[in-house]
Amino acid sequence: MNPVVELTRVSKTFGDIRAVSEASLSVARGDFLTVVGPSGCGKTTLLRMIAGFETPSSGEIRINGDRVDVVPPYRRSIGMVFQKLALFPHMTAAQNIAYPLKMRRFAPRVIPGLVKQYLELVQLGGLGDRRPHELSGGQQQRVAIARALVFSPDLLLLDEPLSALDRKLREEMQLEFRRIQRELAVTTINVTHDQREALVMSDQIVVMDQGVIQQAATPQALYRQPANRFVAHFLGVTTLLDGRVVRVGDDGDVAVQVGDTVLQARGVGQALVTGAPVDCAIRAERIGMAAHGQPGLDNTVDGVVLQRIFEGDRVVYVVRVPALGDAVLSLFDRDADVHETTTEGQSVRLAWQARDLMVFAKQT
Amino acid sequence: MTDQLSKRVVLWGLVWFSIVTLSLPTVIIIGASFTSGDIIRFPPEGFSLRWYWELWQLSDFTNALLRTLYVAVICTLISLPVGTLAALATVRYRLRFRRSIQVYLLLPFTIPLVVSGLSMMILFGEMRILGQLWPVGLGICIINLPFMIWSVSASVNAIDPDLENAAMNCGAPPVQTFLTVTLPAVMPGVITGGLLSFILAFNEFLVSLFLTDSRTVTLPVQIYNSIRSIITPDLAAVSVLYILIALIAVWLLDRLVGLEIFLRSK
Repeated sequence: MNPVVELTRVSKTFGDIRAVSEASLSVARGDFLTVVGPSGCGKTTLLRMIAGFETPSSGEIRINGDRVDVVPPYRRSIGMVFQKLALFPHMTAAQNIAYPLKMRRFAPRVIPGLVKQYLELVQLGGLGDRRPHELSGGQQQRVAIARALVFSPDLLLLDEPLSALDRKLREEMQLEFRRIQRELAVTTINVTHDQREALVMSDQIVVMDQGVIQQAATPQALYRQPANRFVAHFLGVTTLLDGRVVRVGDDGDVAVQVGDTVLQARGVGQALVTGAPVDCAIRAERIGMAAHGQPGLDNTVDGVVLQRIFEGDRVVYVVRVPALGDAVLSLFDRDADVHETTTEGQSVRLAWQARDLMVFAKQT
Repeated sequence: MTDQLSKRVVLWGLVWFSIVTLSLPTVIIIGASFTSGDIIRFPPEGFSLRWYWELWQLSDFTNALLRTLYVAVICTLISLPVGTLAALATVRYRLRFRRSIQVYLLLPFTIPLVVSGLSMMILFGEMRILGQLWPVGLGICIINLPFMIWSVSASVNAIDPDLENAAMNCGAPPVQTFLTVTLPAVMPGVITGGLLSFILAFNEFLVSLFLTDSRTVTLPVQIYNSIRSIITPDLAAVSVLYILIALIAVWLLDRLVGLEIFLRSK
């Protein structure tokens, strides 16, 4: 099946600044794709080019196979939920939802029915007469979703609409967006800086940094097999270590020297050569405290607890390890008994499997 | 306890002092206008509508009033489109020389009215339009345009920068976007600015003084002329007329836009 959206080597420069550089991606029909990255990484510019508010400096954008680079935004069949929602303040919720239908010349007799149907879809039945400022933050979100979807667009764009909400409401709305998206099977591109939101909502994730797409994959693949140091560090709680390859084995097995210690590890991505400087990354949840019985792991080091942070369902330990060149590692512990006994300043033994220490060739 | 009390006393004292000093002149002039005597004085001698009747009989004043209304309408009609578009353009769009244009548009505000009045008198004289009434409206419009622009700019700043993108995303071409979304969204500022323009034009004295002659004299200039000859209570009656018009403007503003805009800074 042809992709709904296809970007081919799309770049955008503003003066001397290269906001988006040679970005290529495609979204299959009905998929939910999230573009995630730190602020200023170019993700919003990418979205605005797809919506038609910015013109690419080079490259091409296709929607349903047709080039749209020169098609003005009002002739594209795209619904969008804006960062600050951009509801029309002088119209009621129902008038906001009816607006795209009127502008797109739907037959007047079908408009009231569609407005009612979409008000109910977003669970706002009975609130159609309210003005935006008379609605709560979550209700405004729902009006914005309904306005973006009511004309059955080929594509839905979400420009960080959830970023202004408090955490509980945001998580509720994430599930709500996902429910509606599945129900209508509308192809969606979401933009966010929130890694959790990306992992929770998406079929596919594109990680961007400094205008360049770093990796595109499913949430699971992205988390388990990050392509480089940036992706590894961006998702999850990850400790990065500088190392040097001392031996390259079969099937991606490598040995790396970090500080004074040789660690068993797993090579990712490009081929590694002996003697090359590398980035090593390990996730906090993959490090165990050997003190409470996890023998037989590939790597074992001794350290001193610098900080102990209680987070309710888990405790985060920040541990300094002299043998790794005084590196500072973060790890989680979910074992309630250890919570009570391990204190700051205490010596602990850390251990993890070779496959959990990911090694990347240094990016130049 | 005593601290609380003295704080209350001082605060209320200040409030009442402000209210009295601000409203006293108005109260006195309203009182004086209802006198039945021949001179302005407070408290008035007796009570009558005599001077309102006299005012109504004075064709000098009624004609001046009509001319002033005409001038104020002209001024408002020019201010509305010019001020609205200028505010939208300078606040909303990434224009070249945007700063310079903003400064240029606010220039009339920094120049003393005497200078503006004199230069417009010379300019209009050269253009052979001095002595007509509409150039007075135009001149007043020019010097008061900053108020209109400020008023609309405040509305433009308050709206979501993506509002027009949202309209286009909904399928509205640029003209439709302007008419159905941009303009209604800045309407509070346009209404406020329009009423402000009207009142300012209605009150404008100094520039009118330069631009009018005995055939085109406007009400503020007429009052000034009268004061120089003889002060009679009909002047108090005219003042009450002014107060009434200002009250009507505030009432209209409250009905159309809501006074919260002024009382609550956003």
